[in-house]
Amino acid sequence: MLLNYSHTALASLLSKGDSLNSDEIGELLGLSVAILLGVLFIVFPFFAFIYSMLFARFHQGKYQKQLLARESFVMEQLGEDNLHTLSNPITDRKINESRLLVANITVGPSWWQLFLGGIRSIFGGNIVSFDKVLAYGRSEVMQRLREQAIGEGWDEVLNVRVETSMVMNKVQGGKMNKRGTLEFLAYGTGIR
Amino acid sequence: MMTSNIETIPGFTITKSLGVVSGSTVRAKHIGKDILAGLKNIIGGELKAYTELLMEARTEALGRMMMDASQRGANAVVNVRFATSSVAGGAAELFAYGTGVIIVEG
Repeated sequence: MLLNYSHTALASLLSKGDSLNSDEIGELLGLSVAILLGVLFIVFPFFAFIYSMLFARFHQGKYQKQLLARESFVMEQLGEDNLHTLSNPITDRKINESRLLVANITVGPSWWQLFLGGIRSIFGGNIVSFDKVLAYGRSEVMQRLREQAIGEGWDEVLNVRVETSMVMNKVQGGKMNKRGTLEFLAYGTGIR
Repeated sequence: MMTSNIETIPGFTITKSLGVVSGSTVRAKHIGKDILAGLKNIIGGELKAYTELLMEARTEALGRMMMDASQRGANAVVNVRFATSSVAGGAAELFAYGTGVIIVEG
């Protein structure tokens, strides 16, 4: 339909030479925009993939560094970790107040990492690129719980549990979780 | 309504257990947010749109659990657990459950 339309538009343009009226200019403009959009949709994923290959490491390294800085800052402030997986405080102390604390994060591997993972799954073995993403997500969610506890004035968090689940799966087309999106959830009981 | 994920509420005594209370919600993603998350996915890392969406949904599930508890006459929920599952394409079910109890101070 579009092709036929473009043919007639082009034919009329060619036959008339340089005497264009405003209608035809409008048609030409619309046509070129449509072609440009089409090209963009084809070219964009390609460039995105190249970008992912070259710069994803840099971006993820930046997040990792920020996380490490925050972790060491909290450690300096408190002297010890305020998250515990025990359901009772280690030191004998009086508890005045308690509440459930919840923190979460959703992470996904980059396109390049997904690609590497796909290749890796042919031969089997350790997928290093996914390891990094998972490790980052898990430590980030625990750091968030720590910061939430400090921010709201809780001394310690007891019985901390970390859960992992796949979310936002795409069931259609038989491709499960095409993007590899994972959610990490950390929760515990804050006491003071 | 007091909640904890340990067996007791510190500083209180449980006088009566009222059984399992639960709350759940199913959330589908927003198409605009999905496109943004798809762009963020190119470089990987956190997908903030999904994080917020899921946290919002989980808060709602917790709220429904507390509503269930208060309907049964409980004034606290102990041993709260969370479960997440994918039920349909692009939707997630968030489920919170615990034991509704009546507590008294001391």
